Amino acid sequence: MKTLNQTKLDPVTFEVLKNAFINLADQMSDQLLRTCYSFTIYNRDFSSALCDAEGNTVVQGTQDIAVHVGTLHFTAKAVIEDFKDDIHPGDVFLINDPYQGGTHFNDVRVIRPVFYENKLIAFMQVNGHWPDVGGASPGSFDVTAKEHYGEGIRIPPLRLWNKGKYLKDVANMLVSNMRVPEERLGDFRAQVESTKAAEIRLIGLVGKYGLDTVLAAFEEVQNYVERMAKSKISNLPNGTWETVDYIDMDPEQEERLIPIKIKMTIQGDKIHYDLSGSHPYIGCFLNSGFGSSFAALVGGTKAFFPDIPLNSGFYRVLETELPEGSVVNAPHPIAVTGFCSGSYEKIMNAVFELWSNLMPERAIACSFNMEYFLVGGWDKRKGYNNYFMWYDWMAGGHGGRNGRDGSNAISSIFGVGMTIQPCEGQERLTPVVTTKHEIITDSGGPGEYRGGCGVEKGGTLTNVGDSLMSYCSDRSRSITWGIFGGLPSYPHGAWINPGKDDEQFLGTVFSNLKVKEGDSFIRPSAGGGGLGDPLKRSSQLVLEDVMDDYVSIERAKKDYGVVIIEIDAEKDEYEIDYNETELTRAYIRQNRKKWLKEDMKIVYEKYQKGDIDKLDLIRQYGVIIDFSTGKLLETSTQQFREMLQERAASYW
Amino acid sequence: MGKYHVAVDVGGTFTDVYAFNDSSKETIVAKTPSVPSNPEIGILNGIKKANISGDEIKFFSHGTTVGTNALIERKLPKTILVTTKGFRDVAEIRRGNKADLWDAYNDVAPPYISRRNRMEINERTDYAGNILIDVDENEVRELARIIRKKEAESIAICLINSYVNGENERIVKEILQEELPNVYICISSEILPEIFEHERMSTTIINAVLGPKVNTYMKNLQGGMKEKGYNGNILVLHSGGGVMTSETVPRFAARIASSGIAAGAIASKYIANLCGFQNAIGLDMGGTSADISLMYEGNLTITKDWYIEYGYPIGFPSIQIQTIGAGGGSIAWIDEGGSLRNGPHSAGAVPGPACYSQGGDQPTNTDANLILGRLGSRVLDGNMELNVEESKKAIKNLCEAFDYSEYEAACAILKVANANMCDALRLISINQGYDPREFALVAFGGAGPLHGAYLAKEMGIPNIIIPAHPGVTAALGCTLVDVTHDISKTYVANVKDVRIEEIEKEFSLMEEEAIKLLKEDNVEKENMHLVRYIEMRYVGQWRSLSTTVTRPLTSLEDTINIFHKEHERVYAYSSNDQEIEIYGLRVQAIGHVPKPEFVEEKPNGDLKDALKEKRDVYFEEAEGFVQTPIYSRPNIPVQSIIKGPAVVEQIDSTIVIPPNFEARIDNYRNIILSWKGGNN
Repeated sequence: MKTLNQTKLDPVTFEVLKNAFINLADQMSDQLLRTCYSFTIYNRDFSSALCDAEGNTVVQGTQDIAVHVGTLHFTAKAVIEDFKDDIHPGDVFLINDPYQGGTHFNDVRVIRPVFYENKLIAFMQVNGHWPDVGGASPGSFDVTAKEHYGEGIRIPPLRLWNKGKYLKDVANMLVSNMRVPEERLGDFRAQVESTKAAEIRLIGLVGKYGLDTVLAAFEEVQNYVERMAKSKISNLPNGTWETVDYIDMDPEQEERLIPIKIKMTIQGDKIHYDLSGSHPYIGCFLNSGFGSSFAALVGGTKAFFPDIPLNSGFYRVLETELPEGSVVNAPHPIAVTGFCSGSYEKIMNAVFELWSNLMPERAIACSFNMEYFLVGGWDKRKGYNNYFMWYDWMAGGHGGRNGRDGSNAISSIFGVGMTIQPCEGQERLTPVVTTKHEIITDSGGPGEYRGGCGVEKGGTLTNVGDSLMSYCSDRSRSITWGIFGGLPSYPHGAWINPGKDDEQFLGTVFSNLKVKEGDSFIRPSAGGGGLGDPLKRSSQLVLEDVMDDYVSIERAKKDYGVVIIEIDAEKDEYEIDYNETELTRAYIRQNRKKWLKEDMKIVYEKYQKGDIDKLDLIRQYGVIIDFSTGKLLETSTQQFREMLQERAASYW
Repeated sequence: MGKYHVAVDVGGTFTDVYAFNDSSKETIVAKTPSVPSNPEIGILNGIKKANISGDEIKFFSHGTTVGTNALIERKLPKTILVTTKGFRDVAEIRRGNKADLWDAYNDVAPPYISRRNRMEINERTDYAGNILIDVDENEVRELARIIRKKEAESIAICLINSYVNGENERIVKEILQEELPNVYICISSEILPEIFEHERMSTTIINAVLGPKVNTYMKNLQGGMKEKGYNGNILVLHSGGGVMTSETVPRFAARIASSGIAAGAIASKYIANLCGFQNAIGLDMGGTSADISLMYEGNLTITKDWYIEYGYPIGFPSIQIQTIGAGGGSIAWIDEGGSLRNGPHSAGAVPGPACYSQGGDQPTNTDANLILGRLGSRVLDGNMELNVEESKKAIKNLCEAFDYSEYEAACAILKVANANMCDALRLISINQGYDPREFALVAFGGAGPLHGAYLAKEMGIPNIIIPAHPGVTAALGCTLVDVTHDISKTYVANVKDVRIEEIEKEFSLMEEEAIKLLKEDNVEKENMHLVRYIEMRYVGQWRSLSTTVTRPLTSLEDTINIFHKEHERVYAYSSNDQEIEIYGLRVQAIGHVPKPEFVEEKPNGDLKDALKEKRDVYFEEAEGFVQTPIYSRPNIPVQSIIKGPAVVEQIDSTIVIPPNFEARIDNYRNIILSWKGGNN
């Protein structure tokens, strides 16, 4: 015990200042949440940090979004590097540059240096996701962008307040290139004021405890986290673990899943992540820059150490190898705006899987993919005649866990603190009537512990003029997978005019699709992958799932081998046919490995004839098709089957 | 007519009774164990223990955990949700977020109504209130058939956009009630006609699952009280800080989902007022947690962001309470990074702090206070013995880890506990634009008076008020409230386009509804009082601020000025050239009820007679142990002045007056502490 206390401060001062710093960061977040203008920030797509004079993160907000974690120090350091000695009291900087450690252009960071008696002592940083930063597509999500130039405005470290003087012309230049500029200024002001409130609080602490003590505490809080992390890692066995996850495709290339490889080595008290062998960057914006890939590694690791606070002390125990020019470290000017649906989620889920092997008590299978849906155009409803921008994201299912099903319908691992927007709010602001916002039956990946269920949202556009629709997601081919014998869930991808003559599957990435009054659409989000062999799932739990319609009677039989007889659905009366269940389970057990190897062309024919359906294709045969053309994807199928072999069949 | 104001606070462990005799102006206090399975029995026992018969009661009011416990334990009647086609899962999808961002194994509680009991009908209203699809009567009757089959006891109806037009909800309710006359039914447009389907649906569902339960409880209690000879109103405290009668409680059952928690805040407001303070922070610190509230210019701060279980909001305005895991039983420990922590884990009632000698071996705040001599070894008027040797054993680990003496370790424990509480005090004050230097701290609960002085000094709060009966202050709060109802409505309009007459009309309609509710509560016309509020924000902002407006409404000018000022106070900026919009309207209906009239005492006796003993108490600021006078509170004459260091003991609490603090006993027997430098 004795050796643990190694701080320069007495234990009380240390604990008091540590908590005061956290309180200060949360105060910034709280104020931003109450004063912001955009619904993205209002729904918690933001983060705050106190960084030391070198730009290292001392603390960040306790309720902040996961994806920004591990990047805030990069942008503070970028300001220091660009401005060096030219940083003064009363300055405020802006940055959104993913090529300097930011995430994507929409994440605009306000950074305020804090001085005490003319000495630079800290930086206050507030990062908010602005719903638009210009470019060709409303919402600045242009999936066709290969380079960043058309995506939105790139802001390298930029001074917006100079020694207390607001540089109005510079600010106007920036927001003039964005849609709804007044709202952008509103957010900017709210962020600036939040950092100001934190500055006052920090100065108060310096006044009370003395500068040396506060500066020592900055360092000690980082050392504390490092010590805590090292002590936990040292208790783990040394070794190396490897896995691979995939992005659906490179639209510029022949069909094939795009691999992201991760090798994790635990050596003593360090964790080493090597992403060498990952695919070169691809021809759409799902790549990530080094900042967001680092964030995914940090976030993925942190999930297995939920009680360690995050700051630069944690980053000291991580060594990372992100190959340049790859899909996980795309260089300027390669587009990376869609990283959150692309590389980021793949890395994070893969890291979860690696740690699930190491800490099975916290295991979790793959969770649904983040999806962004955007419609922008003119609102022509009575009493309205304005440009609208509707920017939406959904909940979905999380992966099955050890001894517990995955969570149904919650926010993405990208940030489980992010809130789903209310449809009633959207209907006021957007000419749309929502037709459904509901859980999808059978969307959870089968497993001994079922993946959580996904959600489907649908709507019909009413009085729109000159409107465009875009979508940013993934995993319509690299479908959300299970682990330890569990099965995949359900493909992502949006549909337009479902059930009508012009019904069409639009896929997971498209932009600037022209839409008109009366067009309808649906977007499913996947469930989580299953954990463990679905044939081992308790038939009682399958029965409960059937009562709640999380699982249909049909798929209870196909996925779990559990035969359920409906007695009176209106009274929730069902029965398990134990004999039939035993027989069905035996039959599946005997054949399932064979199904995964059956000639894909023959399987495909069965599907075309209607003998098997979409979920049979995916879960039983591991066959991937393009839902927009209905074509069989041979290479992707081969890769998907190899994946299933590894993650599912090898456990059966 | 009786002479007693009787108030009961039903807690998890104890039921506290506070009774005030209107003619003799005397107070009776009693404590009995709660009876969670039949809370009304605990209440009746308590009244019996206080030696009061039913016909002596003039006025009966109480706070209860019936609703909270039913929700947490999920002991709920079978309830059906009826909603618009495509939306039954809103109750489960919620806003999708989790309280614990990092622990994938720490889940949000499951929805109150499982998916099999969530049903849909084909109907639709749009954002402007136009009905796009009419209710099909046959479909609803068919639904009633299934609900009957399911043997449901309660139904929540929440249709999309019903906050603008509740017509479809009313039609559905009418048909279902006709088909199912014995089933409890509530509709969202009556419960909370506000935008955002999840928040409105969640509030309606909570109302529906609690409705039948609360109804039964009220009937049982009423029966029991009648048997005792009391025939008056049974008043129940709600989270908004008012009371309702048994007439309106079942209809707004969700309002008493956390009835008890508001009582302490109300009492601290009242006591601060009595002592002449308009701004006060209330600190109710018990064994496991501390509840903090704030009063500014005479009003408690209100929030609509409130829940019993994370993810399931209750949208009624509620007194804002910040709860943290810091109480007498909170455990001090060393984490893996070598940092000294305090709480949120608590030794609870069993095993309790180490000094209880019931097997607890972790050091708690109570142990630290005992080691330092602040707590005496005999408490509860000598009915309980504390063992300091056990405390010293428990603290050993900390001494070794940090190379501390026992006393240093005990001081360190308390400092960390106090710092944690100060962080919570900051959240409710500084973080919301209130300067603690302009406030008084009302410290109560069993443990509050042990810590109050140090918290105040750390926060720069100049005065600390210790109520006469710190341990039953919350119960006292129940006697001090009026009947209140809040009628709210979403109303969105830019102030420059707004027509005053239209808002006036909306307010009038809401007031009609308000008066109707007060009448049901048997409030006489001359006791009715209505207050109007408008919620406003800068155009484009998402959160709004609430300001009061005049009746009748003639102009918005003053309101707009107040809004700018309030924005400046809360967020440190405002902007006169930005457009403002109205976001919501609210009417608070108040029905005044008689309250106890406390009388001022005259000084009588000598402080010396209150001196029990002297003992060694450790004060770090005095660099060690100091021979400290220990006073018995009931014997201290009013208007006495006690200079620190001193300790005051009473049956339900112990008060620490540190060096450099001075205590004054006011004519209501409150102790008011102040410290040197505090008033600068």
